[in-house]
Amino acid sequence: MRKTIVVLLAAICAVLLYFTSASAYKVFRADWRLPQTPLQESAEYRLVLITQELETPFWDRVGAGAREEAAKHGAMLEIWGSYSNDADEFLKKLEIAIHSRMDGIIVQGLDTDAFKELVKYKAASYGIPVITVANDVPDSLRRTYVGSDQFEAGRTIARQLAADMGQEGTVILLRDNGNAYYQEQRLDGIRSILEAYPGIELQYAETQGSREQVIAAMQDLMNHSPDVQAFIAANANLTAAMVQEIGRRSRVKPYHIYSFDDSPDTLTLLREGLIDGIIEQSPEEMGRISTALMIDWLEGRQIPLKTSGYHTEIRLRKAEDAP
Amino acid sequence: MNRIQNKILVLTGIVLFIMAAIWLTLTYYSRQTQEQYNDILQRYLRMNEVTGASQQTITDLNNYLIRPTPEHYEQLEQSKERLRRAKYDVFALRNGDNDFDLTSYTNLIDSLLETANRSMMFQAQMDTEDSNQAFNEATRISRSISDMTLTLLDTELKTYDRFYRGIIERSTELNKLGIWLLLTITFLLLIFAYWFALSITRPVQKLTQAAKELSRGRFDQEIEVSSNDEIAFLAKMFERMRVNINNLITEIQQKAQLEHELQQNKLLLQESRYRSLQSQIHPHFLFNTLDTLSKKAYLEGAEETSDLLASVAGLLRYNLRRLDRSVTLYEEVRVLRQYMDIQSARFADRLRFVEDIDESCLYVQIPGLTLQPIVENAVIHAVEPMEDGGTIVFRIAEDGDRIRVEIADDGPGMPEDKIERVLKGSAQETEGHTTGIGIGNVVQRLRLFYGQDDIIDIESKPRSGTKVVLRLPKVRRYEADDQRTDRG
Repeated sequence: MRKTIVVLLAAICAVLLYFTSASAYKVFRADWRLPQTPLQESAEYRLVLITQELETPFWDRVGAGAREEAAKHGAMLEIWGSYSNDADEFLKKLEIAIHSRMDGIIVQGLDTDAFKELVKYKAASYGIPVITVANDVPDSLRRTYVGSDQFEAGRTIARQLAADMGQEGTVILLRDNGNAYYQEQRLDGIRSILEAYPGIELQYAETQGSREQVIAAMQDLMNHSPDVQAFIAANANLTAAMVQEIGRRSRVKPYHIYSFDDSPDTLTLLREGLIDGIIEQSPEEMGRISTALMIDWLEGRQIPLKTSGYHTEIRLRKAEDAP
Repeated sequence: MNRIQNKILVLTGIVLFIMAAIWLTLTYYSRQTQEQYNDILQRYLRMNEVTGASQQTITDLNNYLIRPTPEHYEQLEQSKERLRRAKYDVFALRNGDNDFDLTSYTNLIDSLLETANRSMMFQAQMDTEDSNQAFNEATRISRSISDMTLTLLDTELKTYDRFYRGIIERSTELNKLGIWLLLTITFLLLIFAYWFALSITRPVQKLTQAAKELSRGRFDQEIEVSSNDEIAFLAKMFERMRVNINNLITEIQQKAQLEHELQQNKLLLQESRYRSLQSQIHPHFLFNTLDTLSKKAYLEGAEETSDLLASVAGLLRYNLRRLDRSVTLYEEVRVLRQYMDIQSARFADRLRFVEDIDESCLYVQIPGLTLQPIVENAVIHAVEPMEDGGTIVFRIAEDGDRIRVEIADDGPGMPEDKIERVLKGSAQETEGHTTGIGIGNVVQRLRLFYGQDDIIDIESKPRSGTKVVLRLPKVRRYEADDQRTDRG
């Protein structure tokens, strides 16, 4: 009896001691200092990539390429920007980047005076090199441009169109009214090929970016030229609305429809066979090359940079190629 | 000796120690926590300070641009200084996660200061338009700083999210620890206090039990208390008392025994006297008659008869007078001879009496009427029934510190059980005795007289006689009595 009680008491004692010490261990084990992520000593350069379209697949891939390259060289790279082409926010970010004295700025070109002003004077006065990527603004005194040759892209589309449609027909060129440099380049490219075909008639349509306006413009166009055979969207953002409007009137397939940029919208349309071809760009390469060039320039290895820019690969992707 | 006071002190000490240990630990813990909170708050406050300072700078710049007075200039310079200090403070908060943002942040502050200076410079040059433009820029930068502060705070929260959660978890765990600690200490103290109380009360209980036993009169159980405090001391004293009482009781019992023996002695004496009184029928008349008979026989020429009668008279007188006091061996021998004269007259040549006496031994004290009953016994059993009679040998010799008295016969001997009965003093036989005193009476009187048991011994073999041996101490009885009293 007495032995049982002693054993029982000892057991209770052991259990209590165990829980107490376990609890005490949990309480006192903690590190009292704030956890410190060690500073990267090798991080010499602070680079920033600024875009107007954050979190789109295209820019995500550019960002990924840039990050990869920056990590390789031990530079810090941040991706800033605005969502869905908010120019004010985009310019504000650019200004902040300049005021925070980044070592280098890689930016999506925006063909406006405010942008040129910032790059030309502000960045220059702080001595910050600027490289445009994907979209070029040649008269902004950027160091260089990294991205697709838009003129060549236009020519590729036009050649394909001519091959698909034949020597004659009416082509509608849908463009937005931003007069962006890259858009002009594309149109120039298309024109330069189609001039050789007197039988092909080019009609230009200009519209605002929003969906309703695109649809309105398309209705207007198709009412005026019912015999149209092909459409080219100079800007990928316009493609979806354009195809939708065509589909409302008749079957889409007979028309030859082309677009630039491989946005998810256009890719889906391509896969469904609704559009016939798009120009595929190389966003990772853009990110990689622009970052590498920036670091090279900062380290003084590659002076001067080519003002005309470094062109990345473009490919025509046709409907029949689509998986 | 581990005293009860010490025990209490130790218990108190342990409790105090535990409490102090817990208090110290908790104090240390809360200090650490406080420091940690201070660190965290410091970070946020410093970042916030930048926003405040930059806004202040803009306000002061605005004031200065509107009215460029020395006071406003002074204020502006002060707020710029404050901003600069805030910048240094915040720069110290750099870590791997916010390195990029923080560098941008400090650069923004530099830009703000620069732009503000530019604005002041243009103002000094009366270039209002450029000055305003610079002011607007400064305002934008200040706004950016505010935005960046939020971004940094956000980063901070993300970076230390796990850490903050850890703090919260820890404080929950601390509550649990408190409960466990309370339980454990309560439990341990209860056990300890119980054990401690037991170590005091158990000896007390034992002592109480022992006292109860004593009060019931059982003094023979030892009191044993195994603790090592005052109670044990008390128990030891108690035990000594018990032993003393026990000894006293034993002594009293021995004394009672002695008294009882004395009583018995008196009773035996009374019995002897009674028996002698019984036979004292007109003793003086008998003596006188015997004397007259003796004279008459002498006058008539019967000298032998006259002597015999004189012996009888002497024997009778001796018997009546000397029973209750000690006599010398010499007197006993004299009476024995008178007795033998009488018996010789009775048995003539059937009774042969042989004496071998060392005269130097006859001074010894001996109770009266001891030898005569023994010899009488020998006559009755060894001579009387025999047709040829028998021989009785009487010897007195020195034997170390004793006197050896032998009375031997050549009769049929005594059976073993009878010898035993006689030596125990329980044999009561009165058949045919002149004196009426049995040998059992003699044995007891001898023992009482000398206070020793080995006074008398009987050796006997069937058909070859009986030998009674008395070994009388030379030391007298009262001396031996005195010595015994001294011992007690």
